[in-house]
Amino acid sequence: MGVDKSVAAVLQGTLELLILRTVASGEKHGYEIAEWIHAASAETLSVEEGALYPALHRLELRGLLASAWDVSANNRRAKYYRLTASGRRRLKESTESWRRSSAAINQVLDAT
Amino acid sequence: MAEWLSSLRQRARALLRRRRLEQDLQDEMAFHLSMREAQLRASGAADAGIDARRTFGSTVRIGEELREAWAVAPRLAGFVQDLRYALRTLRRYPGFAIVVTVTLGLGIGINTATFSIVNAALIKPLGFADSDRLVALQEQMVGFEFDDAPFSPPDFLDVQRDQQSFVGVAAYLNFSLELAEGGEPVRIDAAKVSATLFTLLGVQPLLGRTFGPDEDRPGVDVAVLSWPVWQTRFGGDPAIVSATIRLDRRPYTVVGVMPAAFEFPRRGTVLNNKPADVWVPMAFTDRQRQARGEEFNQNVIGRLKDGVSLAQVRAELATLAERINASYPPALRGNGFSIALSAIPLREQISGRTERPLLLLLAAVGLVLLVTCSNVANLVLSRAASRTREIAVRLALGSSRARLLRLLFAEAAVLAVAGSLLGLAISNVVVGAIPASVAETLPAARDISVDARVLAFSAGTAIFTAIVFALLPLFGIDSGMPGPALQEEAIRTTPGVHRHRLQSALVVSTVILAFVLLVGAGLFIRSFAALMTVETGFRPSGVLTAAMTLPRAGYSTAASVRSFHVSLFKEASSLPGVRSAALVTDLPLERYERRTFAPEAVNMRTRANTNLTWVYGPYFQTLGIEMKRGRPFSDVETTERRQVVIVNERLARTAWPGQDPVGKRLRWGLDVPENPNPWLTVVGVVGDVADGPLGAPTYLHAYEPFSQFPDRVLNNVPTAFGRHVKIAVRTDRPASALASALRSAIAGIDPNLAIESIATMDERISDSVAPRRFSVITLTAFAGGALLLAAIGLYGLLAFGIAERRREIAVRLALGAGPATIVRMVMAQALKLVSVGVVAGAVAALAVANAAASLLYGTEPYDSVTFATVPLVMVATALVACALPAYRASRVESFITLRAE
Repeated sequence: MGVDKSVAAVLQGTLELLILRTVASGEKHGYEIAEWIHAASAETLSVEEGALYPALHRLELRGLLASAWDVSANNRRAKYYRLTASGRRRLKESTESWRRSSAAINQVLDAT
Repeated sequence: MAEWLSSLRQRARALLRRRRLEQDLQDEMAFHLSMREAQLRASGAADAGIDARRTFGSTVRIGEELREAWAVAPRLAGFVQDLRYALRTLRRYPGFAIVVTVTLGLGIGINTATFSIVNAALIKPLGFADSDRLVALQEQMVGFEFDDAPFSPPDFLDVQRDQQSFVGVAAYLNFSLELAEGGEPVRIDAAKVSATLFTLLGVQPLLGRTFGPDEDRPGVDVAVLSWPVWQTRFGGDPAIVSATIRLDRRPYTVVGVMPAAFEFPRRGTVLNNKPADVWVPMAFTDRQRQARGEEFNQNVIGRLKDGVSLAQVRAELATLAERINASYPPALRGNGFSIALSAIPLREQISGRTERPLLLLLAAVGLVLLVTCSNVANLVLSRAASRTREIAVRLALGSSRARLLRLLFAEAAVLAVAGSLLGLAISNVVVGAIPASVAETLPAARDISVDARVLAFSAGTAIFTAIVFALLPLFGIDSGMPGPALQEEAIRTTPGVHRHRLQSALVVSTVILAFVLLVGAGLFIRSFAALMTVETGFRPSGVLTAAMTLPRAGYSTAASVRSFHVSLFKEASSLPGVRSAALVTDLPLERYERRTFAPEAVNMRTRANTNLTWVYGPYFQTLGIEMKRGRPFSDVETTERRQVVIVNERLARTAWPGQDPVGKRLRWGLDVPENPNPWLTVVGVVGDVADGPLGAPTYLHAYEPFSQFPDRVLNNVPTAFGRHVKIAVRTDRPASALASALRSAIAGIDPNLAIESIATMDERISDSVAPRRFSVITLTAFAGGALLLAAIGLYGLLAFGIAERRREIAVRLALGAGPATIVRMVMAQALKLVSVGVVAGAVAALAVANAAASLLYGTEPYDSVTFATVPLVMVATALVACALPAYRASRVESFITLRAE
């Protein structure tokens, strides 16, 4: 497959959160988003393209992302996504709730 | 909320820029792929392009997913796609699709048609304002066996004057009138009604007005027309209001026209049950107002005051009845004569007699619906079972459960819609095919139409069944682990025990229901056969009859009526081919006058009533009624008043048991000295003749020569009593061939006279049993349909079952079982189910037959012929149904099958 066996699939439902977080650091096209998540997770998480694009479009439909066509670093036309105001709000809420629940899960797992 | 709004905005935009979005997506994905490819190549991959594509996955599927997201109503778009897919799938299994559609269509169609009839007759509102407050008032003569209880005019007037419980009461009476304007002379059904009737019913005229209170008296000739007569005879001309028309050859002023939907009197009551085409005021004469104890012929209805209950009404009527009894002539009272008053809801009076047969019909049709549902369930289930593998594969390939659910649902929906459309067509045909002679026996027949709610109900039931069973297989498979389903299906030995049991239970229940319906149909067929061989007491073949009524204006005197009799008798007797002819007030199968009689010097324990018929000419000879004793009327008696009478055997037995009645005397009225009627001498005894629909018990019957009909009545009484002329001619040729000759003979005597009907006696018999014949045909059709459905169900179970058991059968064959063994195995499976169904069906049928016993004629509910034939029919059908599957099973090629696995 060309993909390391230690690479975990992105948990269902967390993909949107990861996309929002990725785009929060500056507008990116789809490929960059996938690569950024892969790199930022120290190559632990890999995003399936089959899920990435539907998720991007869903987020755009819901008005959390906006997009525009621009020229990429290697001089090719690419579609860039950026956060909208409501996207930023959603990111904040989702991050908080994720932190709370993952802490809770860790606590449970560490309990003796 | 904001998110939802923006989503909607984005979707709207997506709708407008659909092509743009598609292109964007393609570009975007292409860009991604080329980036990934470049990266892989840089890291030294050999097939960078292929690897990139493989990790990316299906671009098509991403596109599909997004297209759905873009759609304004994503579900709808998906559903349209599902439908298209469903149609494609069904086209691959045309046999299944057709059988399910036809099953649904038959079930829905029959059920809807029948329920529409019952609805029109029993359930629909009467069409009058607040009709729940309308009641029918009845007046019984205590101790008399009258089957209906109509009022006598003076008693009605007393109730009308004294009652406190009603907003008002009104009387009505059917009669007929000759209408010569606007075409051939015809007799139309008419009704005399109290002036207040229309207000009481709460109906408004379409044109003009109804009657004023001052018009309800003799000498005011005003009329209200029905919509059909206004249309057919007067071209719907509004100028008809205040125009003068001739009815029974007398001028009437038309004051109004009623709307098309207004129908009164309503069908279904025993008397006064013919919807009128013209209404005239009741206009009681002074004589009628005073004639206590006479003319019990008025139907009376009343509208309850607010807050008054039926119980209060009955209490008041009891008091009124006492007062009325006190005003009866002492002679009558001294003889123990008294009347009683009662009230029932109008709806009950109208639909009471038809309720039982109609509810039976409804029960039968309910069974058909059950059979339909169980059968559709079985078919869909069989098919679903064979798709378990397909579904498991789809689940394994990542199809979502919701998506599959929708697909299965779409298939069921396609079948349901097709079935419902077929059902609608069938129900329209069935409702349209109800013969007029049957429609006339049902209340509210004019407005029978396919009812949308009923259609929705039956279609809903059947479709719900189809869908539930279509979805069943989906829940049997764990989407996380479709493996077991795949493996099980691959092994293909015998179907899962659970589903097999369910399907067998469905087949058994279908057999039970079909059995019950077949027994019902069998009993009705046997009843009808018994009815057709019943002794009518006359010889109908070769007899042609015609009916007419002499209008008062053209025949105002007794002499003119009698001279018409003479002319018609002469003309008819001399028609070529006629052997004999006779005139009569009422033919067999009809009833004209019923009155009390007193045999001389016989103390009868109960008061006796008899039907009475007046004849002119050789009536008994013409109709083929047997003279049992004595002689027919002589020529002298036909023309002169000789005070003679001929009675039927039943009357003779009642009045003079064990004695020779010839020479005995009787007179009309009660056995009291004040009775002014002359004694009549019995000169002959004839056989009993049916005087109602075939199969109805014969009644006491007396015949007088028309010469004895009182001139006083013909000269003075303003009713058609004694003016009804029926002619019967006996011929050696086919009776119907004589019709035109008879018609012109009548026209030769009076060209303006309307002929009400001209029909052979055989036709009249056939009409009298039309409702029964209709029940027989319908029930037989239902039973046949249920049998067919049961056969389809059995066939389906076996055929699909064998397809599933191919491997098992192949193994058996390979191990040395002959084809005969396999056939026996399949047959045994079928017969096991059928015999369980037949035994349970017989028990159920016995209970049902017992409940329907009163509707049978000359047939026991436990009729051995029926109960012996039905199981044979069932088993024979089952053998036919399983012949093909059994043959197929025996032809399984063991090696090919085993290798294929």
